[in-house]
Amino acid sequence: MGILDRVISTLIRIIVAVGVSGVLFVALNYIFSQATKRWRLFNVIVGAFFGLVYFGILDGNRLLGDVGPTLIFWPIVGAVAAGIIFGVLSDTAEPRMRMGLATGGLAAIGIIQGAAWRSDFLPSLDWATAFAWTLIPGVIFGALGLAIRRDLTRAGHWALVGLTIGWMLGAWGGADFGAGGSRWEAYAASVIGLAILGVRLGLGKIPDSAGRIKINAGSRKYIFLVPALAFVVLGLLIPLMRTIYLSFLTGRFNNLTWNGLENYGFIFTSEKSLDFSDWTNFFGSSLAWWGGGLLVLSLVVVLVQWLRSPDGRPRVGGGSISPFVIGWFFIATAVFATLRGTIINNLWWVFFVTIMATGLGLVVAVLADRAKMESFAKSLIFMPMAISFVGASIIWRYMYIARPPNKPQTGVLNSIWVGFGELSTTDSWTGILAVFVLIGITAGLLIFAFMSFSQKANKLGGSSLLLAAVFGYLLFRMAGPGLGGIATRTSGEKVADTILFLQDAPFNNLWLMVILIWIQTGFAMVIFSAAIKAVPGEFIEAARVDGATETQIFWRVIIPQIATTIGVVVTTLIVLVMKVYDIVKVMTNGNFGTQVLASDMWQRAFTELNFGLGSALAVVLFISVLPIMFYNIRRMQKLET
Amino acid sequence: MTTTSSAPTTAPASSSAGDAKKGVGKIVYGTLRGVPTWVLWVLVILWTTPTVGLFVNSFRNSDMQRTSAFWTLFRGNFDGLTLQNYRDIFSSEATGGFWNGIVNSFAIAIPATIIPIAIAAFAAYAFAWIEFRGREWLFIITVSLLAIPNQVALIPLLQLFSNGAHVTIPGLDKTVTLIPDVGLVGTTNAVWLTHTAFAMPFAIFLLHNYLSSLPKDIFEAARIDGADHFTIFWRLVLPLSVPVLAAFAIFQFLWTYNDYLIAITMLGGGAGSSEWPATIKIATLAGEFGLRENLLTAGAFIQTVVPLLVFFSLQRYFVRGILAGAVKG
Repeated sequence: MGILDRVISTLIRIIVAVGVSGVLFVALNYIFSQATKRWRLFNVIVGAFFGLVYFGILDGNRLLGDVGPTLIFWPIVGAVAAGIIFGVLSDTAEPRMRMGLATGGLAAIGIIQGAAWRSDFLPSLDWATAFAWTLIPGVIFGALGLAIRRDLTRAGHWALVGLTIGWMLGAWGGADFGAGGSRWEAYAASVIGLAILGVRLGLGKIPDSAGRIKINAGSRKYIFLVPALAFVVLGLLIPLMRTIYLSFLTGRFNNLTWNGLENYGFIFTSEKSLDFSDWTNFFGSSLAWWGGGLLVLSLVVVLVQWLRSPDGRPRVGGGSISPFVIGWFFIATAVFATLRGTIINNLWWVFFVTIMATGLGLVVAVLADRAKMESFAKSLIFMPMAISFVGASIIWRYMYIARPPNKPQTGVLNSIWVGFGELSTTDSWTGILAVFVLIGITAGLLIFAFMSFSQKANKLGGSSLLLAAVFGYLLFRMAGPGLGGIATRTSGEKVADTILFLQDAPFNNLWLMVILIWIQTGFAMVIFSAAIKAVPGEFIEAARVDGATETQIFWRVIIPQIATTIGVVVTTLIVLVMKVYDIVKVMTNGNFGTQVLASDMWQRAFTELNFGLGSALAVVLFISVLPIMFYNIRRMQKLET
Repeated sequence: MTTTSSAPTTAPASSSAGDAKKGVGKIVYGTLRGVPTWVLWVLVILWTTPTVGLFVNSFRNSDMQRTSAFWTLFRGNFDGLTLQNYRDIFSSEATGGFWNGIVNSFAIAIPATIIPIAIAAFAAYAFAWIEFRGREWLFIITVSLLAIPNQVALIPLLQLFSNGAHVTIPGLDKTVTLIPDVGLVGTTNAVWLTHTAFAMPFAIFLLHNYLSSLPKDIFEAARIDGADHFTIFWRLVLPLSVPVLAAFAIFQFLWTYNDYLIAITMLGGGAGSSEWPATIKIATLAGEFGLRENLLTAGAFIQTVVPLLVFFSLQRYFVRGILAGAVKG
């Protein structure tokens, strides 16, 4: 098929879909506005609609015989008949006349239905079942009517509707079709049910002009709401409930049997979802030790500040909080890297991406605020938001790609990594130069720290000291065990080597998370940027007049003002990250220990066709975002009031 | 900033860092002050590099992609520059016709944008301006579905599209067909119908926020003039809500055009690649990494160019949509 055909057929489909729904909406509004203008026309259309739907459902289920163009003939006959009957009824006010016309008219429709019934599918009625089924809904509806309307006549009307539904279910549902049935039984089954409905219509009164206005106005909420609610109910609510039901079943594809809570048991006991077997590795992880060291450092800073504080009270500031926070961040990362499994991976994603995207978004929003070319810088950071997750994954493949170590690297990250590796393994002057540069930087920072401390600029001194420690560590790696990618050959010779960013577990997870951070930082930035601009300028000016530093203004004025916004960004990100799928699917397909709940769900449900386990995984995802859903509803309710 | 406040802004800066400044030297202090701007631009470069890398590589032949890094171009290495990747991706049988994929992407994204807007606008209007019992609760239930993961609806929807919906009446052992199987599975129609359902809570939420903030007087004036809800909606509300409709349209278009999950679920099994949108086509190319690496760069870039164009030309509306309701499920 040519590409042009494809474009044209697509266009036609779009126009038909949009056109049909548009025409339907306008037509419904028009029809109900006729209730006040042309009452009889309104009734004819309503009657015809019901006839069309009733016979359409029967014909669609292949229950009616074929006459002429099938699937069209009987619905049209039904529509015409019901339209005429409703039209006549619309201005017959005399009670006995009305009752006769309604009962007779609907019975006539019943006769049409009986005559139309497929001759090889005639019912043989089970009268006992039919009567039993008729009575039960009749009584239930009657009681409901009494309870809601508190009026015996109204309750009678309700009971009649119940009787009709009961008869339809009992007579048709209880019957045997095919051999043994007769045309008379088909007549009986259809006429009795519809005649009861006819009695109900006959009891009704013609609404006066106020009633007609009420019909006209009251219809609008349904016309406006039903399309949207139909999509919500059919596309979200019922599927949600069915997924919960399916999660208790097991089997392949549509051959499902009851399985109780086994699926959930499997998810939470399987080694693939939660694997604590290597937890002792935590103590061997250098990240954990760095984190612990930072915690000790923050304790030391607190103690020193306490000892030197003039009023003898402990004080907590940036010097102690930042190592504390970073220390815990390292320790958490070490925990996620030693405990493995799908659920742990998901938690790791939520933890790392949410914190990094929110943090970086805030940083960029603050840095860009009133900077030169602010909107240009922000556009570029925001741009990945427009790129698909699949596209972003492919873009990042070219960042992570690893070529053989002796060939030129084409991936940015491996190029840097191998570059460092070469620097620290080479014996040529570049390696020695690098060592000297590092010595220079470390020494310079140490001198700067010393000078700052002697000038009582403790913050500057402290951060210089920390930087010096980092560079000192780099120097130690460079001169000693080696910095960057190093592999030791069997001969003992050390050579530069690559990282397989996507294959080396567990930190390949982090490299996948980087992609989502790259995408979502722009989102956080845009929201924070708007929130920061909305902070009243007087607040900041007032703080400045009182002598607050820029840092103090940020922590004491801006952050409290945008606290709710931070909440919104964090919750939105948690929900989004929880469901991460595309990136894992495209980058690793869940291999190399990168499986997350959503990708596991897809693989179970649609690759292995295990709908039960797939549904259970989806339900686990659903339950884990429930708290956030409640939080959002609470927030919305607060906004409404 | 007013003239009265400009003086204090410089004063605290010098007093806070004053001690260090005298001793260590003005140069260091000046460099430190420039740090925020430097950090910003370093971040910007970091954020842009991956995309630039893909763009450059898509114009280099496969040998060059394999043996030399993209940034060598900026050092004057112009070897192997070619348009062949773009020619190949459209002609290659491997992708089953990439144009087809782009057309399919639009066949999904356009109805999945227009139809939810219309339907949600009706509903948002009803929730905002038609009085009826249980309105608050219905609204809260609808909007609370905003955050539910799409995964919870995928299996039943796939079953619905492939088998229809049937109910067995308990006690009678008769099965009634509620929705017949009309062969939707494996077509782009199934995809945009699913998108429409999933978009509904967010669309209603976004549009309701806007519509309910319109001044009450204009509605009362229209009612007094005898206009019914349909007329008010058509003549008054639609023209007034163009900005928010545009914001949602752009958001929804990018979302559906870029979608992979729903498309692969509805089109993955059995359906030929003739119904696949571009995202599935490039993801499949990526799955055979190494084989047609050069095509992948061009394909990914073409797929990405459409949302980028929309993004850069209509960024204002996009940002507005993001700001108005940042909680899509």
